[in-house]
Amino acid sequence: MKICFYPGCSFATSAGYKESTEAVCRKLNIELNEIPDWNCCGATVMFGENKLRATALAARHFALVQTMGFEDLVTGCNACYATLRKAARLLTEDQELFQKTQEVLQNLGLKLDRIPKIRHLLEVLMEAMPDSTSDRYKTLSVGAYYGCQLTRPDQDLDKGDYPEILEHFLDRIGFSVKEHSARTQCCGASHAVIYKNECQGLSQRIIREIANKGAEVIATICPLCQFNLDQAQIQDNGPRLPVTYFTQLAGLALGLAPAELGLNKLLVSADKVLTRP
Amino acid sequence: MSQNDTNPFSTIAHLESINQCIQCGTCSGSCPLADLMDHAPRELFALIREGAYEEVLHSNTPWFCVSCYACMVRCPREIPVTDLMYALKEVITKQGTAPQNLKMPDMYQAFSRNIKDTGKVTESLVMARYGMKHPMDALKNIPLAIKMQMRGRLELKAPKVADPKSIARLFELTETSKDKP
Repeated sequence: MKICFYPGCSFATSAGYKESTEAVCRKLNIELNEIPDWNCCGATVMFGENKLRATALAARHFALVQTMGFEDLVTGCNACYATLRKAARLLTEDQELFQKTQEVLQNLGLKLDRIPKIRHLLEVLMEAMPDSTSDRYKTLSVGAYYGCQLTRPDQDLDKGDYPEILEHFLDRIGFSVKEHSARTQCCGASHAVIYKNECQGLSQRIIREIANKGAEVIATICPLCQFNLDQAQIQDNGPRLPVTYFTQLAGLALGLAPAELGLNKLLVSADKVLTRP
Repeated sequence: MSQNDTNPFSTIAHLESINQCIQCGTCSGSCPLADLMDHAPRELFALIREGAYEEVLHSNTPWFCVSCYACMVRCPREIPVTDLMYALKEVITKQGTAPQNLKMPDMYQAFSRNIKDTGKVTESLVMARYGMKHPMDALKNIPLAIKMQMRGRLELKAPKVADPKSIARLFELTETSKDKP
């Protein structure tokens, strides 16, 4: 399988998201075609500054995807996913905005005729990962954490507040899944970086809820969620739960070594739970 | 509270949807950062409907919207709350009325400037620029930055798009935009 991949700015420095995504895709024969010369999607900042600019920044990729000959664009970051989707939705709904965006891109030597389908990496691996045939991780209990922007606002992939697809995925690839109620509670996103004290409680509530329901590891699908939940535990006396990416767990399920999956990059170490016999 | 006759928000797409608001407060109750807002969303919409535009222009509320979309999927009147918060921010930014002591506009500015200069975002550069205005915040992040560095996660060399001028050009082309927020 070949996919057109948009890594986004946080991918390379995240706690092993890049390593694990690349290792898992290699193993599954998924060819990751990175959009050449991609730029920042604008995240949650640009739409509050200038709608046309935000749309054009995102749509620059739609033009590049078109040049590459792909129909879909895949990203592993919830903020990129929601931002690109918002731009795609606006361009579909608003003909005037579409024309203006086309003009801006034309000025940069780019041509935009069609809007690609924006998909999350989780969707791709849901299709590509084989069912587990081993009991190796059956005793490792995992709490799935979706963050906000996978199922909201569109709710097309799953229910907005209480999705289940990540649980099904983790269960299918051989982990023990613990149900909990914090799966789409907000971690504070970028606000947590500068309003640390004010947002600390948001992450703590999520971690405590997942720990209270008996999980030993958290599975995330977004670099900022992973970062917030991981770093919040450093300044807290509460439970310590390694905050992994779903791709790292997928890699383990495929028999890859923790070092290949960048698991050494987590702030709260996963060594103890992973080396347990 | 001073009143302004002309509605500075009138060009916002779907602003009329707030006339459907039944003031149930589901949005405010769903908001993870409502505690930090001077007017939680329900109240802010009431103020706009009352014509208290000055109050809204100086409100910190849109700046604490974290884009979690919890309010938007729960609103029984299907008001696009999060989208409206983005549009309010755009109007407030263009009018230059964001509260002076607020950190988030400075953060957003540092973020946007990083994109304009390089086409991409490098966390350490955004923090450095933001830290010029808020040195204590930047200093508080140093221990964490060291931990990140030890795990090979701190980007010291800023990645750029092949032609950063093209992104700067995109910014220029959209600068004087009279487009509706």
